[in-house]
Amino acid sequence: MATPPITDQQMDLLAERLGSAGLGRRQFLLVAAGLAAMGAEGFNARPVSAAPKLAPGEKLAKDQHFRYGGGGWYQVNPSSHDFNKDLYCQGQLTLFAGLMKFNADFQAVPYMAEKVASNKDGSVWTFTVRKDTRWSDGGPVSARDFEWSWKRQLDPATAAPYASFLYDIKNGEAFNKKQITDASQVGVRAKDDWTLEVTLEGPRGYFPVLAAYLAALPAHRASVEKHGDKWTEAANIVSNGPFVLESWEHNRQMVLRKNKHFYGAKDVTLEKVTIPIIPVAAGALPYDNNELDLTSLQVADLKRLQSDPRAQRQVFRYPFPGTWYLLPQATKAPFDNVKVRRAVAHAIGRENVVKVAQGFALPAHGMIPPGFPGALDDPKTRSLQKFDPKLAMSMLKGTPFEGGRNWPKIVLTMRDEALGAKPLAEALQSVLLENLNMKTELEVLEPRVFRERLWKQDLQFVWIRWFMDYPDPHNEYFDTFYGKKTTGRRQAWTNEAFDRELEAGRDTRDVKKRLEHYAKAEEIMQTDVGYVPVAWVVRYGAAKPWVRGIQKNKQGELVVEGNIYVDMLPHLYVIERV
Amino acid sequence: MVGLVVVLLMCFVAVFAEVLAPYSYTKTNFSRLNEPPSRDYWLGTDQLGRDLFSRMIYGARISMIVGLGAQVIVVLIGVPVGALSGFVGGRLDLVLTRLIDVMYAFPRLLFVILLMSMLGAGLTNIFVAIGLTGWVFIARQTRAQMLAIKEKEFVDGARALGASRLRILARHLLPNALTPIIVSVTFGIPEAIFTEAALSFIGVGINPPTPSWGQMVGEGQQYLRTYWHLCVFPSIAIAATMLAFTFLGDGVRDAFDPRQQ
Repeated sequence: MATPPITDQQMDLLAERLGSAGLGRRQFLLVAAGLAAMGAEGFNARPVSAAPKLAPGEKLAKDQHFRYGGGGWYQVNPSSHDFNKDLYCQGQLTLFAGLMKFNADFQAVPYMAEKVASNKDGSVWTFTVRKDTRWSDGGPVSARDFEWSWKRQLDPATAAPYASFLYDIKNGEAFNKKQITDASQVGVRAKDDWTLEVTLEGPRGYFPVLAAYLAALPAHRASVEKHGDKWTEAANIVSNGPFVLESWEHNRQMVLRKNKHFYGAKDVTLEKVTIPIIPVAAGALPYDNNELDLTSLQVADLKRLQSDPRAQRQVFRYPFPGTWYLLPQATKAPFDNVKVRRAVAHAIGRENVVKVAQGFALPAHGMIPPGFPGALDDPKTRSLQKFDPKLAMSMLKGTPFEGGRNWPKIVLTMRDEALGAKPLAEALQSVLLENLNMKTELEVLEPRVFRERLWKQDLQFVWIRWFMDYPDPHNEYFDTFYGKKTTGRRQAWTNEAFDRELEAGRDTRDVKKRLEHYAKAEEIMQTDVGYVPVAWVVRYGAAKPWVRGIQKNKQGELVVEGNIYVDMLPHLYVIERV
Repeated sequence: MVGLVVVLLMCFVAVFAEVLAPYSYTKTNFSRLNEPPSRDYWLGTDQLGRDLFSRMIYGARISMIVGLGAQVIVVLIGVPVGALSGFVGGRLDLVLTRLIDVMYAFPRLLFVILLMSMLGAGLTNIFVAIGLTGWVFIARQTRAQMLAIKEKEFVDGARALGASRLRILARHLLPNALTPIIVSVTFGIPEAIFTEAALSFIGVGINPPTPSWGQMVGEGQQYLRTYWHLCVFPSIAIAATMLAFTFLGDGVRDAFDPRQQ
């Protein structure tokens, strides 16, 4: 069947659902992009097989034991693995399997469900559950498990913090808010063991996307009833995902075993997975010592691994397209003067500044990173804010700050985060001082405070990044800088002509013409200095040479486990070391 | 003696930072990042290619300013409160002692962090935060001295001669209570320096680009395995300063306290 149409109102609802689960716009847009890119098969597209594809001369290792973590992955002890109760329990992501899952392109595909169908307007969804998969104790995974689990999440007695995620289900909200007490009125029902019928509050064409999220994972009824809060301890847990939890030494490590009852078990090659719980500060030390096969890298370690002739081939970049830029607030002195903004734009030697990020940033001359649709790499764009300290200083002529004098107190604000953001900010401070004699103080704010003040456009001078949500210029310009945005607008700067180009870009179908609109928008924004692009983000991981099977997305980049794509482990395998 | 020499040296460095530092603390060199110690850069360069040695010299200034500045606030609050409490006694004493007890009940560093996050980072706010939390010890000590001294015969004598309460307090009690106050100030300075270092380490202390030892250690520790010098040299500076002040404190106490000799 064809996927029912998803209207704009429905997309807003989807955003609200995800938002209620603490997922930001970014995640929403990732999913939205996945929805948009779905082919004719819709939600019933088949997931990619996980079976290993050995290159000639490669042999599977006898011991299929894989170890990963570090560099920010699993850095805190999970509070539980009970995603059904709390999707932010920080538990292991492959223990449970939902009706749907996301593939490496962030599209929702069937998982525990075999088939997904809906009525015409998408207000009733029917999931046919596969009969060939079982819980790790050998019991069947049936539609009744999902009915029970979702009702458990909605049950006020469970006190699930993100229950509102399931409010699209008919009477889900009323039940969760104790307006009705009869759970049988909640719109999720197992018609028989293998058919789950979900009646929604209205047409929700995106519902399978929700069903693919961590929040929609099932829980094992008998275990919950027997062990209560302790049911996800290694001794008690019964799970239905590709892996089971063999041991969990709190604050030390988790060990997973392949779940032989999982339907895809024959394609899952790894037998055992070890995940140590280690702080970011440990860096790549465990990886160097061969205690990990896969890790995420921080600045200091990247440099070291790259300079090691053997290790450098193990390092890979993974997608995290993003842009770091400065926002001189156009409503606050001295940046209310466009000449000052231009001076700043020309005073920054980006090639030099990004050196301090040691590989985690590339010099940026525009909003869209190279290789993505709409990326501009012509001499004209490059010259818009080109580095020229003399020109920068001359911009100040006729302003009260001529010759770099009389600067008021200027505070450069950023949010507290890793990724080498602070050295970059300090480098910017130093070039502004050097080239414009502009003294700035760097203020690092706690993320929540930062966001609040940012959205009030209360900050004078901001150092900030935008991570691309989906590869389309609409995201990089409209979602970020559109002047008529009412919520989440970062900058006070607006420009009529700029907004018109964005609207035209949004409404144009012809690809070439569209990109022309965005190129024009970039030009306007750089000339009027609505922002000052500085650096493009890059992220790195490292995998030992015997690790195989990391999936690639459509852009051909390796994709690693995150909170949307959780399907990494079933695809991995280890080959014989040479 | 060693303590005194090191402390004087620190003060000297702090005062004459401009003259002593070979480079400006903001001078970056993006083609020479994270270099180990060399002839050009005696202690190497940091992640922005700034001279670590120069930054440590300016860092000494921040440490000294914080150490002394915070103690001034501590004394200005602590001594009057303690003196009033001990000298006047009665209900006022009860109220003030309870206040001191309440202040004592707060974990000091957490309280300072709380204040800093309310006030925002910056040098002045560090004074205020450390001062507002640090006065209790000195207040308690002053009060104890007052209680002990005001029973002494010479105080009775002064009173018998018709001296006013204010005169007794200022001319007889406080001067005699001075020794323990001085000792506790000498011990308070390193504590304040360390608190500033801790604050800057976690990023709520001094705002960049002003260098502070704690901030340098904080930024350097993530590179410990790759660029050891970033973290090690400022750590040594902090440790040496703490030790010196502690020695000095011991020395001062021994010098003033005849009973221990």
